[in-house]
Amino acid sequence: MNELIHSVALWLDTHGWSTALHESYYMYNWIESTHVLTLMLSLGMLFLIDLRMLGLALPNVPARSVAQRLNVPMLVGFTVMIITGLLLFYAIPVRTSQSLWFRIKLVLLVCAALNAFAFHRRMKTAPAGWDLARRAPPGLRLGAVLSLVFWALIVLCGRFIAYDWFDCSGEPSPFIATLAGCVPGQTQF
Amino acid sequence: MSDAGGFVYKRSVLVLLAMIAALWFALSDLRVEAWHGLLPLFEWMETTPFGVIGKTWGWAFATVEAFHLLAMALLGGAVLVADGRLLGLVLRETPARQVQEQCHTLFVWSLVVAVFTGIFMACGVASKIYYLEVFWYKMLALSVGVVFAFFVRRPLVAHVYQVPSNTIRLVAIASVMIWFSVAATGRWIGFSG
Repeated sequence: MNELIHSVALWLDTHGWSTALHESYYMYNWIESTHVLTLMLSLGMLFLIDLRMLGLALPNVPARSVAQRLNVPMLVGFTVMIITGLLLFYAIPVRTSQSLWFRIKLVLLVCAALNAFAFHRRMKTAPAGWDLARRAPPGLRLGAVLSLVFWALIVLCGRFIAYDWFDCSGEPSPFIATLAGCVPGQTQF
Repeated sequence: MSDAGGFVYKRSVLVLLAMIAALWFALSDLRVEAWHGLLPLFEWMETTPFGVIGKTWGWAFATVEAFHLLAMALLGGAVLVADGRLLGLVLRETPARQVQEQCHTLFVWSLVVAVFTGIFMACGVASKIYYLEVFWYKMLALSVGVVFAFFVRRPLVAHVYQVPSNTIRLVAIASVMIWFSVAATGRWIGFSG
């Protein structure tokens, strides 16, 4: 599996656009800045929804109303983050695909998506009138806490990707090397 | 216009004059003199426990940086929802004053965390950021943002039903632009130096 991921990353790396994006100081930084600044829209809205469920934000506004009204700007933010995230990966495919933190981040993103899916299902099946209470029912509160934890860890892993602590070029331990997807005898980047 | 509204306008004009004076200071020779005088402070910052931790352990710096980003995300959410409500874009069925009050609490808490984590990070790279123009632009934007939020926006929004709606909309747009500038200049620090 790691060999396959590595060959796809190497193939992406041969693209002229990938190299151009990586070597363009302004374009790369603009994309990365957009990726980070959109946190204020996507995570900003998400945090408000989660904190509302916990009774820590907008307690007098119906919870369902907060979730529905802030859902659209939040999804716009996440769409921008996905597009810019893919572009950032495309600019540095080999090193990123072999970053332990990037791999953990992807797993956490899947967990956050599954949690969001379960959260919306629970919201639909919750008994009538729940959203007028200061705090949401326990199931929704658990979903909100998990969401906050997942996203805090995702941001943390995103920050850690910039550091070379477990890069394949640093000859990590066999366990870390397997997790990071280092391929024996690979060209170092 | 009520007396309260008139008072708010008077205070807002004074604050705007103070902000223009701050801009004049930022662009004059006085700023250069003050900048030279601040060098010992930045050199001292690197010797504090925050500075030593930030310089010695990369993971500690990165972790605090992540919390800084999370605080900025929450701050952005509070600003966007509060100003979005003033512009009639979100939570239109909820009274504007109610949204403002509740978002202001979140704004203050996230600002406190962002400033505290920001000071920690600044201590770790004090001798670098001292020479970065963009850092000083960020400090200027942050100062304007804080003054604007507490002394212009908040007094005006407290009289949201008496102040003309166009004024309220302008305040909301200015608020979003100021806090976007704070975040954008902060991001650009990472690319500089």
